Amino acid sequence: MPELAGKELRIVGFLCNWCSYGGADTAGVGRFKQPTDLRIIRVPCSGRIDPLFVVKALINGADGVLVSGCHPRDCHYSDGNYYARRRLEMLKQFLPFMGIDGKRFHYTWVSASEGQRWQKVVTDFTRQVHGIGPLHEKKEAAK
Amino acid sequence: MTDKGYLPQDKWEPFIESLSNDFRVYAPCEEDGVITFQVLEKGKKVDLSRPSTSAPKGVMFPQSERLFSFDFKKAPESPDKMAVELDASTNMPETVIIGARPCDAKGFLTYDRVYLEVDPYYRERREKTTVVGFCCNGPFAGCFCTSAGGGLAEKEGSDLFVTEVDNGYFLEAITEKGKKLLGRPMVEDGASHADAASKKQEQASKALQKVIPGDPEPRISREAFESDAFWDEVSAKCLSCGVCTYLCPTCYCFNITDEARLEGGERVRSWDACMFHHFTLEASGHNPRGRKAMRLKQRVGHKFLYYVDKYGTIACSGCGRCIRHCPVSVEISGIVARLTEGAQEDQKAAEARS
Amino acid sequence: MNAQELRKAAKEVLPSVDVVIGQRAGFDPLHAEPCFATKPEDVDDFIASPLCVHNLASYLPSLKGKKVAVVVKGCDSRTVVQFLEEGLIKRENVTVIGVPCSGIISVKKVLERVSHEPIQSISFDNETVTVKTNKREEKIPLLEVAPGKCTTCQYPNPLIFDVLVGQKLEPRGSAEAVYDDIREFETKSLEERKEYWEKTLGRCIRCYACRNACPLCVCQESCIAETRDPHWMSQKDDPKEKMTFHMIHAIHLAGRCTECGECERVCPMDIPLGQLKKKINMGMKELYDYVPGINPEEKPPMYVFKVEEDKIEEHELS
Repeated sequence: MPELAGKELRIVGFLCNWCSYGGADTAGVGRFKQPTDLRIIRVPCSGRIDPLFVVKALINGADGVLVSGCHPRDCHYSDGNYYARRRLEMLKQFLPFMGIDGKRFHYTWVSASEGQRWQKVVTDFTRQVHGIGPLHEKKEAAK
Repeated sequence: MTDKGYLPQDKWEPFIESLSNDFRVYAPCEEDGVITFQVLEKGKKVDLSRPSTSAPKGVMFPQSERLFSFDFKKAPESPDKMAVELDASTNMPETVIIGARPCDAKGFLTYDRVYLEVDPYYRERREKTTVVGFCCNGPFAGCFCTSAGGGLAEKEGSDLFVTEVDNGYFLEAITEKGKKLLGRPMVEDGASHADAASKKQEQASKALQKVIPGDPEPRISREAFESDAFWDEVSAKCLSCGVCTYLCPTCYCFNITDEARLEGGERVRSWDACMFHHFTLEASGHNPRGRKAMRLKQRVGHKFLYYVDKYGTIACSGCGRCIRHCPVSVEISGIVARLTEGAQEDQKAAEARS
Repeated sequence: MNAQELRKAAKEVLPSVDVVIGQRAGFDPLHAEPCFATKPEDVDDFIASPLCVHNLASYLPSLKGKKVAVVVKGCDSRTVVQFLEEGLIKRENVTVIGVPCSGIISVKKVLERVSHEPIQSISFDNETVTVKTNKREEKIPLLEVAPGKCTTCQYPNPLIFDVLVGQKLEPRGSAEAVYDDIREFETKSLEERKEYWEKTLGRCIRCYACRNACPLCVCQESCIAETRDPHWMSQKDDPKEKMTFHMIHAIHLAGRCTECGECERVCPMDIPLGQLKKKINMGMKELYDYVPGINPEEKPPMYVFKVEEDKIEEHELS
C-alpha cells in the first residue's frame, strides 16, 4: 500500500468464487504486478450481486466498483451470469443519470485460469478510475 | 421593558436578518414549490403565504439526532482488550423559529408534556429556542384547529406573537424569552397598534367554523372507538405510509438504532411512525399491530384517547397537514367527528326514531 | 368520462364480487379518494372525472383471496397487466372496469395556478378546468395542470378490461416524445445532475409514501429501507441514505414500472421520483425492446435472459 500513499483510491471488487476470485489468485501466485487500490469481496456468483451492493459502495465511499464473473456459458450455476449481465447493464446506464460517472463501474468476465487477463482488467480499471479522480472528498474517504 | 412592539413593513426583513447574527433562525422558505422550515441563510426568503408542508417540529425534535457516539480503541498495552470511548456531548445553538402558525406553536406543548422533564436533549433544545408565532392567514384546505381547542389567533406555545397590521407587524411578548426579542434594535413601541391587532386577531379567530363537536376539545366515545368494523372501513384506502405522522406537529414517536461501523459508530434517535408495519414488529416475528386498521386506530387513539388519559388534553393541534398531504385523503377530522360522544348519541337517537 | 354510466356498470358487477373499488369526492373540492363499495348505495358515490387521480389497481395484491372489481384508467390498466405478467394477481379474481381517460389533474399544479388560494369549486368541461377560489375564477386547459404522464399519454384506453365505460380515445403526442424530458435532463453535465438530485432528494423525509403507493413495490415489509438484518441503511437523516433508497427503489422497478406516476403524486416534498423510473424504462426499451404492462403473456426483462444478448456489448476499459 505505501507505494501510492495518499494517492490510492478505493475500489471495491465483487468477484465470483468460481472464476474471477480464482483468477485473481492465479495472478497473485504468478506474481503479476497489480495496483493495490482494489478491495475484493468474494461472492458465490455474479448473479448474487444486487445492484444495491454497487450503489451502496459508490455512495458510501468507494471511488469505483468492479464486478467480475464467469464468462457467459461458463456459469457454475449455469445461468447466474446471464441475469447479472442484464441487471448490471441496466445499472451502468442508470448511474450517470444520478450524476455518477458510468466509468466508475465496470463489469466483466474472468475465468480462474486467466491470471494475466485479471492483471490487465485490474490495471486498466484502476487507471480508468484514477483518470476520473476521487468520487468523495478526502475527509470522507479517510473515514 | 415593554411587552408590545411594532415593526414597519420595511424593517421586517432586516429584523429577521439581524436575528441571524445571534441565533440560528428557522423560517418557512419555499424551494421548488415546497415550503419547509429551513435555516435562514442569505438569499432565502421567509414565506408566510400558506402553511409549510412540514411542521417545524424537526427544530426541537430532529428527524434524526446523535445521542452519543462511541469508538472502539485497542489498548496499546494489551491488544486483546478493547476500550470503548463514549461522547455524549451536545452543542445546541440558541435558536429562533420564525413564522410558526398557532397550530405549530401549540404542537410544541404536546412534546413538552412528554419530554421536557425526562429528556435532556429535548430540554436543551427547548430552553434555547424562542418560538415566534403569528396570527394565521388561513384557514386552508383540511384545517381544523378550532375543533382541536386552538384557533387562528391562539398564542399558546408562542414566546412572541406577530400580527400583521397597519402596514407592519405588531409584536406581543407572551413569555420572558419573547420579551428579550422586543429589546432588539429596529423594534418600535407597539402600544398604538394594539387595538388594530386585537381586531385582526378577533377576525381571524372567527374565520374557521368547528367541524368536530366538543368544547373546547372533542371527546371520543370508547365504545365507538373499539369497533373493528369502523376501523376496517376508514383504513381500507390507507397506504400505511408516514406522511401523516412525519408532517404532524404533535407526533413524537421515535426509534433508537446503533449506526455502527467496525471501529465505532453512533446511537441515533430518529422519527418513527405508528403507521409503519415495522413500528411494533417484535423480535419473535409477531406483530401486535399487523394490520393497517390497527395502526390507524392507534394513531387516532393515541391523539384523542390515550394522550388525554395521561395528560388531560388531546395530542392534535388541528393543523390539517395529515389531511392535506395524505396520498389518499384519509381525513382525521372526519374520523374523530364520527367517533365523538355527541355524534354517537345523535346516531343512536336517529336509529331509535327510525 | 361519465359517472352515471360508470355507476351503472359497477352496480352490474357488484353482485358477483366482494368489493368494487372506485373513487368518490374527498375532503375538499380538489380531492377524490378511493372508495371501497360493497353495497349498491356506496356505488352511487362514484365519480368519473379528472379528479380521479388514484391508481386503484395498487390495492389488488393486498386483497388476495377476494373477488375484486376495480375501476381503471388506461395507465392504471398497465398495472393490472404487469401484475398478471408477474403472477401477483389471479385474473379470475379480478374484474376490470375500464374507463378511457383524457387526462387527470395534478393537485399541486392546480394549486400553483391559483397561488394556493383555498379552492371553492372545480368543474370540467371539454378538457377545460374551471377553478374557483375565494378571490378569482380561472379557466385552464386540462393538460396545463395535468401530471407529466398525461401530456404524452400513449395509453388513454385500458389495455385490459371486462367492462368498458365510455368511448375510446386517441393517444396524445408521439411515442418518441414520452422520454423527451429524460433526454433533456441528460444534456446536463454529470456535476449538474448530481447537484440536482442531491438537492431534490435531500428534501426526502423518508415517509416512504412513494414506496407504499407504488403498485409494483412488492417487498413490502422486507424493504431494505427498514430491515435491520442485514442493516443496509441507517436511520440517519443523511442525503446519502436518501439517495441510496431512491436509487434502489428505481432499480427494483427496472422493467416493471408502468409509469403510473403514483410515487411522484404522493410525495409530500414534490420530488420528481418518476424521472428515475422513466430513465430506467427508457433503457429497457432500447436494450430489450420491452415496455412494462402491455402484454400479460410477456415476461419482464429482468426475469429472463438471452444467451447471446442482442444489444449488450462488452465494455472496453480506457
